[in-house]
Amino acid sequence: MPLEAFAPSTPLTFGVELELQLVSLSDFNLTAASPDLLHLLARKPFPGNVTPEITESMIEINSSVHSSYAPLLAELQQIRDTLVTAGDTLNIGIAGGGTHPFQHWSEQKIFAKPRFEHLSSLYGYLAKQFTVFGQHVHIGCGNGDNAMYLLHALNRYIPHFIALSSSSPFVQGHDSLFDSARLNSVFAFPMSGRAPFTLSWSEFESAYYAKMERTGIVKSMKDFYWDLRPKPEYGTIELRVCDTPLTVERAAALAAYLQALCRDLLERREAAPGEDAPVEDDYLVYNYNRFQACRFGLDGLITHPKSYENVSIREDILATLERMEPHAEALGSLDALRHLAMAASDGSDATLLRRQYELQGSVEGMVHAAINWFRGERRFRRR
Amino acid sequence: MLELLPILTSLAWPFAIAIAWIAGEFGQRFTGLPRISFYGLVGFLLAGPQLGILPPPDAGSVPFLADVAFGLILFELGYRINLLWLRNNPWIGISGLVESLLTFIVVYLLALAFGTPQLTSLMLAALAMATSPATVVRVINEGRSSGQVTERVLHLTAQNCVLAVFAFNVVVAFWIFRTYEDLGDAIWNSFVLLAVSLLTGAVFGLTVPALLRALRNPNQDATVAFALAVFLLVAITHAAGLSPVVATLAFGLVARHRRVAFSQAQRGFGALGDLLTVLLFVFAASTLDWRQVAAGSLLALVLVLARLVTKTLGVTAFAHLSGISWRKGALAGVALAPLSVFVILLLEHARQAGVHVVEELRSIAAVTMLLEVFGPIIIQRALVWAHEAPEGQHAA
Repeated sequence: MPLEAFAPSTPLTFGVELELQLVSLSDFNLTAASPDLLHLLARKPFPGNVTPEITESMIEINSSVHSSYAPLLAELQQIRDTLVTAGDTLNIGIAGGGTHPFQHWSEQKIFAKPRFEHLSSLYGYLAKQFTVFGQHVHIGCGNGDNAMYLLHALNRYIPHFIALSSSSPFVQGHDSLFDSARLNSVFAFPMSGRAPFTLSWSEFESAYYAKMERTGIVKSMKDFYWDLRPKPEYGTIELRVCDTPLTVERAAALAAYLQALCRDLLERREAAPGEDAPVEDDYLVYNYNRFQACRFGLDGLITHPKSYENVSIREDILATLERMEPHAEALGSLDALRHLAMAASDGSDATLLRRQYELQGSVEGMVHAAINWFRGERRFRRR
Repeated sequence: MLELLPILTSLAWPFAIAIAWIAGEFGQRFTGLPRISFYGLVGFLLAGPQLGILPPPDAGSVPFLADVAFGLILFELGYRINLLWLRNNPWIGISGLVESLLTFIVVYLLALAFGTPQLTSLMLAALAMATSPATVVRVINEGRSSGQVTERVLHLTAQNCVLAVFAFNVVVAFWIFRTYEDLGDAIWNSFVLLAVSLLTGAVFGLTVPALLRALRNPNQDATVAFALAVFLLVAITHAAGLSPVVATLAFGLVARHRRVAFSQAQRGFGALGDLLTVLLFVFAASTLDWRQVAAGSLLALVLVLARLVTKTLGVTAFAHLSGISWRKGALAGVALAPLSVFVILLLEHARQAGVHVVEELRSIAAVTMLLEVFGPIIIQRALVWAHEAPEGQHAA
C-alpha cells in the first residue's frame, strides 16, 4: 500500500492514546478481560474511544482531538471514571504503568483479530512480550514538512518524556533497575528505533518509504515501531516513548508539555531558520541518551547533541519547563507544566512504585496501589 | 501368602492414586476432557462395592486427607472472592440467592413427587443448592480460564456453598429433633455453627498473614505456611464439630483482604495440591455403591436436569442487569452444574454427627456419580464456549 497523502490538520492540536492494564482483583495478575469490558462499554456512550489491544488483558483508550490542555484533561478524567465504573461492575482492576510487574508473557491470550494474529505468528514470543503499556501523543502538524521537522527537532527531548513518564521498573516479578523497562521490549522489534533523517515529506515518501515498501518488509506506517513516527492519515506526528503513567493527570500534562515544545520549535524555526536545525549528527548521542533515561530516569545524565555537554535529565527538564512558560501561557497549560515540575523534583511514577514495593512488601501490593492511583483522589475511598 | 494380604491392603490407596493419575493424564490427552472426571471414574470402579480393591472409606487417614484437600481448595476459592464486588454489583449476589432458592424449591417438590420422605427431600434440596468448589476451582485452574463466566462461577460457588451448609445444617438439626417446634432452635444452632466456623477461619486469616509479615519475607513461598494452616484448621474444626467448609473459605477470604502474596505460581498449591486433588476425587467416588447409584438413578437424572435448569435460569435472568451478555449469563449458570465432592463430604460430616441418612439418600449417590464424571465436563464446555478457556487437547 503506497503511503497516504499527509492529511491537513490544525497545527498544535493534540490527542492522547493510553494502553491500560486489566487486572484480576483476586490475584492482581493481568486477566483476559477485554472482551467483557468492551461488551459492557458498548452498551452506553463512551467519551472518546476504546479499542482492543494485542492481548486480551489490555485495552487502549483515546481522547478526541483538542487544542488545549483543560478540555483534554477533563475528557481523560471522564473516560477514566467511565472505565472505573465498568471495572467495578465486572470486578476488574484498571491500572496505568508501563509494565505489569509480575505477569508472565506466556500466559497472555492474543485478542482474536486478524492483524493481532498475524503479528503473533510473525513475531512469536515477542508479540506476547509486547504486553507492555504505553502512552502515545499525537500533535497536529499542518503539513508533512512540518511533521518531519518536528519529528527530528524533538530528538533531543525524547529522554525528557521517557524519564517523566517512566512507570515500568519491575519485569517478571523483579526490579529491572530500569525506570522504564518497557522500551527494552519495544527495542526488540526489527522496525523500532528512530525514523530515517530527512526533513522533507516528499523525500521521506519517495526515497525512503517507497523503497521500504518495495522490499516487502513493510506494508503500512503501522509496521514501524519508531519512537516518533509520522501519521499521515491524521496529519500528525506520534510520540511513542512514554510509559502509560499511573494517572490520567500525568498523561494530560505530558501531552501539554509536548504541545508547548512543538510550539517553541516551530516559532524558533520561523524566527531563525537554519539555526539549531536538526541534523543527522544529532543522533550520535540519541541511543545513549535514551538508554540513560530508561535506566536512571530523572537521575540520568544526557549528552547535548550539539554542544556534547553533559547535563542531568532532571535539571534539563526543569530548565526547559521554565523556558516553555510563555508558550504554556499562550496555550493555557501552565498547570500542566507545574504538575511536571513537581514530578521532576519529587520523583517519577517508577519511584512511587518502588516505594510501594518497599512499603507493601509484595508486587501484588504494588499493583493494588497502582489501581488506586488510577482511580484518582475522588474515588480512592471506595477501595 | 497370608502375610501378603495386609501388605496388599496397605498398598491399595497409593496404587489407586497412581492409577487414577495415569488415567487422568492419558484420558485428558486422548479426549481433551478434564482429568478429574477420570479420577472419579477410577475411584468408583476400584471401590469396595465394585471391584473391591479399596478398603471401606472409614479406614485410615484418607478421609481426613480428603478433607484437607478440600480445605486447600476452599481456601483458594475464598482467596479469589472479592466482597467489594458484591457491593459494587449487587445483582451478582441477588442472582446467587435466586438460583439457589429456586433450586431448593424445585428439587424439594420433585423429590416429594417421587415419593421421597419429607425430611430426605429437604436434605436433598439443601444439598442441591450447592456447587462443588473442588470441581470448579480445579477445572478453572486446569484451563487457566479467565473472564466474566469464570469470575462469576467462583463467586456464585462460594455463595452457594455457604447457603447450602446453612440449609443443610438446619435440616440436620431438624432431623435430630424431628419436631416443628424445634425448627427455631435448629435455625439458631445452624446459624451459630456457621458464625463460629466463620470466626475461626477469620482468626486464621488474620494471624497467618501477620505471621508471614513478621517473618519479613511474605514474598517467599507462602504456600507451605498456608497449607499447614489449612491442615490445622481442618483438624480443629473436626475436633470442635464446626464446618470445615465455611472455616477454610473464611480463612481464604480474610487472608485475601490482608493482601499477603499468594501468587500465581502457587495457584492450586502446586504439586501438593495436585496430589491431594487426585486423592480427594478418588476418595469421593469410592464412597459410592453401584447398587445405590442404580436404585436412585431415575430421580437423579431428573434432579440433575432440574438443577441445571433452575441454576441457569436464575443466573441468566440477571445477566444483563449485572453487566454481561445473556449468553455469558447462561453459560455461567450452566457452569454451576458440578456438585459431587461437596455433597459427599457434607454427608460424611452428617454421618459423623450421628445422622444415618446416607442409606436413605440413594438418589444423591446417583446424582453424585453422574456429576462426578459429567460435572467437570459441563463446566469445561461452558468455559470453552465463553472463550475463557482454550479448546480441547491443550486444556491444561
